[in-house]
Amino acid sequence: MISARNPLKDKVAFAGAATTGFVAHNTTRSQASWAAEACIKVLRDCGLAGADIDGICGSSPSALAVQSMLGIPELTWFANPAIPFVNQVAAAASAVHSGLCDVVLAYHAPYRSPWATLSSLRDPFRRLAAGPVGPGPGPGPETVAGAIGYTAWASRYMHDYGVPKEHFGLVTISDRSYGSLNPAAAMPEPITMDDYLAARMIRWPLCLLDMDVPVDGADAFIITTAERARDLPLPPVLINAVALGTIDHNEEDQIPGLHRHGQQVVVEALRAKSDFWIDDVDIYFPYDGFTIITLSWFENAGFCGPGEAGEFIKANWDAEADRILIGGRVPVNPHGGALSEGGTQGSGHIREAVHQLQGLAAARQVAGAQRAIVTAGGFFFNAQGLTLRRG
Amino acid sequence: MPELISDEELVARFPGQALTRDNAAHYRGRLERRFLVDRCVACGRWHQPPAPVCPACWSSDIEAAEVAGTGTIHLTVFLHQGPPTTGVDYSTPYPVVTVELDEQPGLRTTSTVVGAPNDAITIGARVALDWIERDGAPLPVFRLAAGGRS
Repeated sequence: MISARNPLKDKVAFAGAATTGFVAHNTTRSQASWAAEACIKVLRDCGLAGADIDGICGSSPSALAVQSMLGIPELTWFANPAIPFVNQVAAAASAVHSGLCDVVLAYHAPYRSPWATLSSLRDPFRRLAAGPVGPGPGPGPETVAGAIGYTAWASRYMHDYGVPKEHFGLVTISDRSYGSLNPAAAMPEPITMDDYLAARMIRWPLCLLDMDVPVDGADAFIITTAERARDLPLPPVLINAVALGTIDHNEEDQIPGLHRHGQQVVVEALRAKSDFWIDDVDIYFPYDGFTIITLSWFENAGFCGPGEAGEFIKANWDAEADRILIGGRVPVNPHGGALSEGGTQGSGHIREAVHQLQGLAAARQVAGAQRAIVTAGGFFFNAQGLTLRRG
Repeated sequence: MPELISDEELVARFPGQALTRDNAAHYRGRLERRFLVDRCVACGRWHQPPAPVCPACWSSDIEAAEVAGTGTIHLTVFLHQGPPTTGVDYSTPYPVVTVELDEQPGLRTTSTVVGAPNDAITIGARVALDWIERDGAPLPVFRLAAGGRS
């Protein structure tokens, strides 16, 4: 039963967003140092002092560690929900709207896992920070739990719809083309379809270029009442609707199928709660942690039918810039998304949406952008969506 | 039926596996090479993964019951790299399959296929349960079954 009730519509706003930029190699900085840099930047951009903050919501490090590190004197609310980052936005917006707090500092610091590469494994601080995981007895390779689940359903997608692997590659090519305009991007070099097809296979049918880029860096945001945001220096961006969608069979190998998982619930909820949908947006932000997720979002959002996303992308291809431009007008992940800017678990998509609607997106600015849709996460346990409009 | 081994002994036989009170019966079954899946005694429906109540009728009268082990490949992945594992060599991409079991539509389990070339391991192929040994404990796997595609 999906409700259209949405009392927080346009009552809560982003007052600002900031990023450190992202790098796809190990740095000698801690995750906390990246988080601190982004948080201090957004506080300064918004003209706020530590004492103006009474709520903190983020991923890692913990909200209390961030409070201590930044000397935020008092909080009346904090939380550390699971990523992707629409979860942080939903929690913060709810807390602000209900009066648990007035001004939330929200943050996410993606940080390269010590087990991602041999070079990160050689960083003893990274190993210790990650805790006792990694080599040792594991459950073995006979599983599709976690990231492998997307690969498993990518094979089913190719089988059911008879589409070639190149349809996945279009997502990566477009992201890289857009990311070339983003100074924060970790992988800004454009690629060709030949590059995509030659990339190292990791788990057939998905290769290295189908997967988001592990990065170090951070994004931070100020979320407050629309009223308070109007008194701050930057244009407010209003949260029109937000949803986290899941279904009962939410395990990777048990979802009913590509036609029925968390994404359909998100779309139904946003269409019920939001004032606008895909025909009325200026920019679209579909998640791209794996390329199959992006194709699936296009289909579930209603741009095209099941299995048709690749053909839809080709029909909406900006050949000159080598990227998707829906209807010759609507950019898709103009910051380069997770495949170019870096794997930010949605914080980069939301930060770019805020900047675009504030008119602060520099070389990537979509003229007169008024409305954006973010559909984050994948199929199983983390499908999410957010509609935003300029205040 | 042999005497049940203790919880401590059971956990020790499956290092690295996420054993819980709710899936312990399944792992005890593995030691006898019996593939057990949770079934609700009250309404007769099967469910995966193991759970302390029936998701369909909320009864807590759950039994781990043996399945025939026949089914159809629903999802395929071929790992070009993966966790170091006894007897697994990724130089030939290692198949991981999710199989829909014949007992009930949508009831699935995930393992590998042995004894078949990778190009024969396809979505829609019929499979049957088999067992191999890994690190001193039986591991349920599948073989391609006669009868071709479903």
